Amino acid sequence: MTRLLRPLGVTLAVLFFTLPTLWMLGTAFKPAAEYIGTSLVFWPSQPTFSHFIQLFDEGVLRRLFNTLVVSIGTTAVSLSVGFISAYALVRYRFPARLDHAFLLLVLLIKTLPPIVVAIPLYRVLNALNLLDSHLGLMLSYQVYTLPFCIWMLLSFVRQIPIDLEEAASLEGAGLVQRLLRVVVPLAAPGLVATLIFAMLLAWNEFLFALLFIQTPSQFTLPLYIATFTTENQTFWGPLMAIGALSSLPVLLLAGYLQKHLLRGFAMSPQ
Amino acid sequence: MFRSHWHPLLLLSPALVLLALLTLYPIGYSLMLAFTNTQYGGPMTFVGLDNFRDLFSDWFFNQATRNTIVFTLAASLTQVGLGLLLALLFHQPFRGRAWLLPLCIYPMMLSTLVCSSIWKAWLHYDFGWLNNFFDVLGIARVSWLSDPQTALAAIVLVDTWQWTPLAFLLLLAGLQAIPPDIEEAATLEGATSWQRFWHVRLPLVRAPLFLALLLRSIDAFKLFDKNYVLTGGGPAYSTETLSLLAYKQGFKFFHLGTASAIAVVMLIIALVLSLAYAWQVMRRPH
Repeated sequence: MTRLLRPLGVTLAVLFFTLPTLWMLGTAFKPAAEYIGTSLVFWPSQPTFSHFIQLFDEGVLRRLFNTLVVSIGTTAVSLSVGFISAYALVRYRFPARLDHAFLLLVLLIKTLPPIVVAIPLYRVLNALNLLDSHLGLMLSYQVYTLPFCIWMLLSFVRQIPIDLEEAASLEGAGLVQRLLRVVVPLAAPGLVATLIFAMLLAWNEFLFALLFIQTPSQFTLPLYIATFTTENQTFWGPLMAIGALSSLPVLLLAGYLQKHLLRGFAMSPQ
Repeated sequence: MFRSHWHPLLLLSPALVLLALLTLYPIGYSLMLAFTNTQYGGPMTFVGLDNFRDLFSDWFFNQATRNTIVFTLAASLTQVGLGLLLALLFHQPFRGRAWLLPLCIYPMMLSTLVCSSIWKAWLHYDFGWLNNFFDVLGIARVSWLSDPQTALAAIVLVDTWQWTPLAFLLLLAGLQAIPPDIEEAATLEGATSWQRFWHVRLPLVRAPLFLALLLRSIDAFKLFDKNYVLTGGGPAYSTETLSLLAYKQGFKFFHLGTASAIAVVMLIIALVLSLAYAWQVMRRPH
């Protein structure tokens, strides 16, 4: 029986998980007449670039650029701060298990629904004069990306043997030299993996962007997508075209992402 | 291990400053606001437990709490169940496995906004793909998102599409970590495939099973983006969640006291979940 069940189950699963995405890619190139109706067809019979052209006219590139700037800024801060924190937690002995207390705090922040900190965060950004700015988003996104980076880098730093560092230390290398010459090169694959996931988190973030950005020209892509979806309209062509555009990085990196996907969630820090 | 008193402090200080500014101060401030009747821009008056008393007798809050709990349980259990099924399907090698597996985990890499927009179109009553497909099968059309009876289930469906892949991957990793000789021994002893599943595999994947359930609950409990985009909390508040209610109270009606009281309730629930999470991932593996 399992001989029949497996192919059937696998087929159903593959269809369920891929058809909606395929539909998105197809509809991005369909003229309106082909998606408003009862057709089940995935690919356009008369492909058109009109939705993409419309989006470019409406400034989608600006939003793409905004999202890129915010993601890069957010990740740069989180990755460097997260890296030295993870290093400290792995390589030094803390009194009174303070390292465990710190990790517990990091976990709590990972668990916290972001709306819980939203109102006071609005005040913080207001006081720093960072509302409605990309700098403000980069700062507030640390709530997501910093705990994530610390946690993920922890598992990578633990795998680096201490011997090389001890040797460098005996030759008189200080902390900064050890970090830059020994640890960073060895942790490079882990740093790249963490960088990509942190970028993805920032790239896809919606709530804080919704709360802290007002000016349409400053919008990030998720915020821009929401301007199409919250009204009860069927502008599916342009909507799927942005969907396809904003998923492009992920679709390209998928194989790599899949390999490292579990690290940020599951790895035991021991 | 290196010994130094000021190195670890120096290395941790940027993270401590950021986390204090962005989370510890906000949590403290919310805890204070929750006991006041502050409106945006208005004075701050201490009102004791009034906000909480009002909340617990408030229909909207109770509705949102109920929806959040139902959604969290339904979504995480469905996803872990389906994920286990998928993991069992993909555990043994078969032809095409290497390229079919990545196809099944694509959805979790897409942005929630993109997922929600695809499904908003798919769940459309008149032109949605799902209802068009139901026509072909001869099943009556369903008003997925506009019927209070089905709207929350429809959002569970969207969340399941996006996040079953995570449960699947965690459980697949768990299954793959079972030493093959254990399964071989069970087969040699004459165990049927059901017995092998129930007595060998299931007990051995208990840890990843629990972790998947926990991770999905933690995330489902935060639900905001999907119902914001798909239903706005409607129809008839059937998809209103605590996050969405706190957002409306704080950023639409400017009832900062009420919004903060909701935030405190959510904080307490999140604290319980994170302690369970910490217990699961921070204990030493044996």
